[in-house]
Amino acid sequence: MSALLEVKGLRTAFETRAGSVCAVDGVDVEVHQGECLGIVGESGSGKSVTFASVMGLVRAPGRITAGEIHFDGRDLRKLSRKELRAVRGRDIAMTMQDALTALNPALTIGVQLAEVLEAHDETLPKGRKARARAIRERSVEMLGLVGIPSAGSRLSQYPHEFSGGMRQRIMIAIALACRPKLLIADEPTTALDVTIQAQVLELISDIRAKLGMSVVLITHDLGVVAEHCDRVMVMYAGQVVEEGPTAEVIGSPSHPYTRGLLGSIPRLSLRGQPIHPIEGQVPDLIDLPPQCRFYSRCAERTDACLTPIPVRQVGPHRKARCIIAGEDTE
Amino acid sequence: MSTEPLLKIDNLTKHYVGRLSLAQRLTGERPKVVRAVNDVSFEVRRGEILGLIGESGCGKSTLGRAILRLHEPTSGRVTFDGQEVTALDPAALKDIRRRMQIIFQDPYASLNPRRTVAEIVGLPLKLHDLVSSADEMRAKVIAIIERIGLKSNQLDRYPHQFSGGQRQRIGIARALVSNPEFIVCDEPVSALDVSIQAQIIELLLELKREMGLTYLFISHDISVIGYLADRVAVMYLGEIVEMGPVDAVLSAPRHPYTQSLMSAVPDVDHPGHAQRVRLTGDLPSPLNPPTGCKFHTRCPLAVDRCRSEAPKSEDLGGGHLAACHRLHEKLSLLETA
Repeated sequence: MSALLEVKGLRTAFETRAGSVCAVDGVDVEVHQGECLGIVGESGSGKSVTFASVMGLVRAPGRITAGEIHFDGRDLRKLSRKELRAVRGRDIAMTMQDALTALNPALTIGVQLAEVLEAHDETLPKGRKARARAIRERSVEMLGLVGIPSAGSRLSQYPHEFSGGMRQRIMIAIALACRPKLLIADEPTTALDVTIQAQVLELISDIRAKLGMSVVLITHDLGVVAEHCDRVMVMYAGQVVEEGPTAEVIGSPSHPYTRGLLGSIPRLSLRGQPIHPIEGQVPDLIDLPPQCRFYSRCAERTDACLTPIPVRQVGPHRKARCIIAGEDTE
Repeated sequence: MSTEPLLKIDNLTKHYVGRLSLAQRLTGERPKVVRAVNDVSFEVRRGEILGLIGESGCGKSTLGRAILRLHEPTSGRVTFDGQEVTALDPAALKDIRRRMQIIFQDPYASLNPRRTVAEIVGLPLKLHDLVSSADEMRAKVIAIIERIGLKSNQLDRYPHQFSGGQRQRIGIARALVSNPEFIVCDEPVSALDVSIQAQIIELLLELKREMGLTYLFISHDISVIGYLADRVAVMYLGEIVEMGPVDAVLSAPRHPYTQSLMSAVPDVDHPGHAQRVRLTGDLPSPLNPPTGCKFHTRCPLAVDRCRSEAPKSEDLGGGHLAACHRLHEKLSLLETA
């Protein structure tokens, strides 16, 4: 199966007064047709910047310094701005974590939905009246798809008139308006309550099945990944540390960081037993030494970890960036 | 654990009354009232962790603050160790606050950016006259700072020089420096990354054991509450709908709201094992709460009676309480429950 999105050796750096911060350092990603890929990592792991780079949304002082981004057979880094704009929104769409700041507070949601359709939908009729009617029909259809009741009358409302869960749905409706091949959902439910989170995630899964699109779900919640993603990629300090089918990675994690993350989750079933937090903190991304980035926090570190660690194949579909990975899982 | 509760809450209510403009007052308009906490009663036993869960806007933080009188309750009584907190004059209230402290959710907003760590953590000592000299204060601050996992050479730094997890440690040090007995932990780990969250949870549990503390632990994260609390109270729209020992409430929830809350939590270990109860709709506005049972607008089991009559809390045995008209009909939203 060929990949819909293939990112190779992506490096994105931000120039700051204190030095160059390499937020994404040599990341490879493959997203296949119709799959849901989960990206897990803590703040500063580079998960959002990786996909902002894919979308061409990294602004100065940030810069993509190396790598290739192939989408549907084209290298997005080689496209002109105009060509990239045509891809963005139509073929790849992204939803942001905070729907309240991502939506324009001064425009009605009808206007914001129409904007996407105007920009990208070539199937719309040319005549002004017919075009307006078609846009309205499509907008109502999209809001219906994401489960907003009485969509017709709500098109003329502003973002502040909706609840958090509804705003997230509206953003998903805008992202899906042009039936993209790939949806990048950046922490779609972090700001939401659990009962609303469950609604929104099920909505994304349903639509994925209905439209046959691929989804990248960026999250810090391994529970969300376990329930919704086919494959998972774990990121730490700008690098991918582990990748594989979700059930395998969670069932028998290869990288000490993944094990640490799983061990850090408090669970009802672990009452009375100590949880095992990962000691220490994420390293400063400025001028990192060329060694394993998890070295300072790793319980299993050895002197051999003080050299650059490449990603290795540790199973038929699994990769990990650790010299001991794969030894204890067999 | 002695039988006398450390903290007793009776019919605590907190309503926020909206302001009216002069024109609105002249036209006789009634002010809008947000019923954040409504007639809530419970006890916290000495040495236990009582978890308080609920979604945003359910009133759990307001409840925590009303207990400390950081927000003055509208009515009801709070009794701490035999003293009625709600009846104290300002001087006596200040004294009792040495023994009742709070840790806030947001480690960025709750520390004064213009004060050093030594000043922030030392302030409670100064306010409560717990030290007689600057040297003694410094020594006490150093002791608590080292205990919560920072170094004494970081004392003269400002909050912005620390990470989120370290700031939360500073907030904990400030709460503990006056040697209190009871702490309201208001979502202390919600703003933190998973690995840091686990560090702070472990720290809070260690400190509780060492200092013999009692916690009211407010969180929207059921896994956190399930992991650390002894008893749990579930809040919905300003009311406690279910309460009891964690094992009973979270493994065999009786209220339909608790059941749907439990089934909505994604589970790392058994993805998709639980039968999903899909709640439709959002939390109703506390400005205009539904009549009868407040959950009836979202409850899959609601009948006519639920729309007109508010259910009373019933004891199900073993300290397990729930407020639902259909408790005894052996109905459950969860097959596995």
